[in-house]
Amino acid sequence: MIVVNIIILSVNSSRYSSYGSWRIAIFFIAPFQKTVTQSVQFLKNIWGHYFFLVSVAQENDNLKKAINQAIDKNNKYREVEFSNFRLRNLLNFRETMTNQVLVAEVISQDPSPWFKTIIIDKGKSDGVEKGLPVVVPEGIAGQIIDISYNYSKVLLIIDPNSAVDALVQRTRDRGLIKGESYGRCLSKYVLRKHDVKVGDTVVSSGLDGVFPKGLRVGYVTEIVKRNSGIFQEVTVMPYVDFEKLEEVLIVLDSPKHDFDFVSEQ
Amino acid sequence: MTYCFYICVCLCLVIFQTTIIPHIALFNNFYDLLIPFIIYLGLFRPAREGILFILVLGFIMDSLSGGPFGLYLTTYFWLFIVVKIVIKYLHACNNILLLFIVAAGVLMENIIFIASVSMFGPDSRFLAITMRAVIFQILWAGCTGFFFITFFNHIHKKLEKFSIFRSGTKIT
Repeated sequence: MIVVNIIILSVNSSRYSSYGSWRIAIFFIAPFQKTVTQSVQFLKNIWGHYFFLVSVAQENDNLKKAINQAIDKNNKYREVEFSNFRLRNLLNFRETMTNQVLVAEVISQDPSPWFKTIIIDKGKSDGVEKGLPVVVPEGIAGQIIDISYNYSKVLLIIDPNSAVDALVQRTRDRGLIKGESYGRCLSKYVLRKHDVKVGDTVVSSGLDGVFPKGLRVGYVTEIVKRNSGIFQEVTVMPYVDFEKLEEVLIVLDSPKHDFDFVSEQ
Repeated sequence: MTYCFYICVCLCLVIFQTTIIPHIALFNNFYDLLIPFIIYLGLFRPAREGILFILVLGFIMDSLSGGPFGLYLTTYFWLFIVVKIVIKYLHACNNILLLFIVAAGVLMENIIFIASVSMFGPDSRFLAITMRAVIFQILWAGCTGFFFITFFNHIHKKLEKFSIFRSGTKIT
């Protein structure tokens, strides 16, 4: 029996033969197998999706926290990156300037929308004096009008009280840049005959005794020549974005004009 | 306690107005946040208590602003006086009054400010842009002023109750 059995096994193992019997077996067993497998899978799913969710929820909370922390950190890094970029820009500008300058941070803005001043964190203790010009890499920002021991108030060039002696860079025509309170300036006393064009750059003339010569003020956006009058109205858009002013440079050794001799005469 | 409350509220409002609001684009044309507080003082507090505080507040705001000195002082003082006159004829807790009085206060401040700026010789564009800004400010004031006044009144009442309760427990 044993020998016969071994012979049959060895013959069967040498070549694959099914004799159709597996079909019958599959026909009866497979449905049960399928049902059981599906049931197991169903239970597994229930476990995995509902009971196991308790730990998943916990994990989700932890991940959310981690994401929030990462976003916060990322935001801080981005802020540092932007700050770094701004400061580098300021530093490059500082190096190009021949004047002695002091970096200051803007700490607040004017409470009224009709007046344009800012308060900076440098004052008398840092060598700041009334009347010193305040600039940024984009151009002229304003002038110190009030100082305390640690803080100063800066009158921006867009304030109606501000005036800067300027000239059109291309033609060298002079004018007086006055603030217009709503983010623009008006170049006053520009003669009608002067060839000023939209897009021309306006720079400081240095003749006001406050701002160094050649600093950018803005560009011409509109020219109105009325039928009468010897002057033309030139609207100048400042290069400086005063809404986003965060750091400024105070020019400590600005050109000072000695007008005493006039009064003496 | 009352003066501490006034100082804290004003400090918060001034700091919020000068450091946070300028960075939020939505509040580009927001009104002076101290106006609801001054109106609150005028409506609900005795004149003796409010007047000195208003003068100090006007002085501080004038110091922070680039406008002519005395502009805020004048505005706040007259606003306070006007409110005091108004409540002689109208009930201070009238909700309709609260809805409109802040907007009216904002309008009054803007008229004084525009008159002051106009001395520098504005052009037609200035007036057009100004009108737009004033309208936005009045709308903001109309929508939010009532809530500010109610909030100040509510907090102050709570603080007064707390103060009375504390003094009562100390006596017992």
